[in-house]
Amino acid sequence: MQDSGFQIVAVALDADENAVIEWATKEALTFPVLIDKFHIVADLYGFVNVPAAIWVDENDKIVRPADGTPGSDLFRSFSHVDSEVHHNLLRSWVRGNVRDLDDAQVRDFQLPPTQELQDARLHRRIAIALRERGDPGDEAGSRKHLALAEELAPLDWTIRRGNMPLVGIDPFGEEFFKFVGEWAKAGRPGYELGTGRETKPDLT
Amino acid sequence: MESSSLVIRSDGGTSAVTSSREFGDFSILVSDFEGATGWGLKPEGLCKGDVCYPVRNVEELSDGVNIDLATFAKLTNQSLLFDSEYQVAALGELASSRATSMSTLVAPDFRLPDIHGKQVSFSDFNRRKRLLLAWSSW
Repeated sequence: MQDSGFQIVAVALDADENAVIEWATKEALTFPVLIDKFHIVADLYGFVNVPAAIWVDENDKIVRPADGTPGSDLFRSFSHVDSEVHHNLLRSWVRGNVRDLDDAQVRDFQLPPTQELQDARLHRRIAIALRERGDPGDEAGSRKHLALAEELAPLDWTIRRGNMPLVGIDPFGEEFFKFVGEWAKAGRPGYELGTGRETKPDLT
Repeated sequence: MESSSLVIRSDGGTSAVTSSREFGDFSILVSDFEGATGWGLKPEGLCKGDVCYPVRNVEELSDGVNIDLATFAKLTNQSLLFDSEYQVAALGELASSRATSMSTLVAPDFRLPDIHGKQVSFSDFNRRKRLLLAWSSW
């Protein structure tokens, strides 16, 4: 679809640029991969988990809000999301200019942040800046601000899970499943469109 | 006492500045202000591009040498978090402003480095349909 006036722009919500470079190089991606160590794009567009996508048209208008969007069925057994449903909708829009949501629906499904989430994002930025500065004591300061971010946004994946590798926690380990349990118990807050989501997900 | 601090703007740009606690809890030198924040203190008020916010009481904002970041953030409708111990301040968008900007459905521009270290703007790909994909290695 790259020929039909269509462009994928990938943004890695990642403080570890080496991990991004390694993945993007290995996959030989044909689209740009940008590195967003401060989660600026999450803040601007309301991303609370990955992978997720937003559609923007030729006139810079958001025509589909943030929605969990698998590139493939790699994690289907976990996410219960059928990637083919996403791919078909995308094809209809790019090739046929057909949208599945109108403007009012786009607004309804947006996730405007709470002030707590905005503050959590700033704490996380301070933590990343301290980690990069690396003066004596900055590591402790970085951890302090990562913890403050998690207190303010305990159910946001970009904060909770995104922090795990920064403090040496296995993002597929015990802490992660504890977080998933908390998140499921709270009603799985996040993208509500649920495009391609199969019924009866069992995440707990 | 003056120290060297970092200021992180809402667009992610980061600057090293000279800060002090002599004027407000976290102030930076007037000479560092525009470079660090992108805002200028002018006769019309605090200005960035075409946008100006009036400053009714300049003495509250600046003693002529320093600018108090908390007052600056309040006057320009931004949020501010700072840590005086670690000497870092971060300016951000208030939740209410973000909700308003999101509801316009106008896709905001941003500028980030790509994997080769080249600065890329979202608007470099304008006038075509775009899939903005948020992804991560974690």
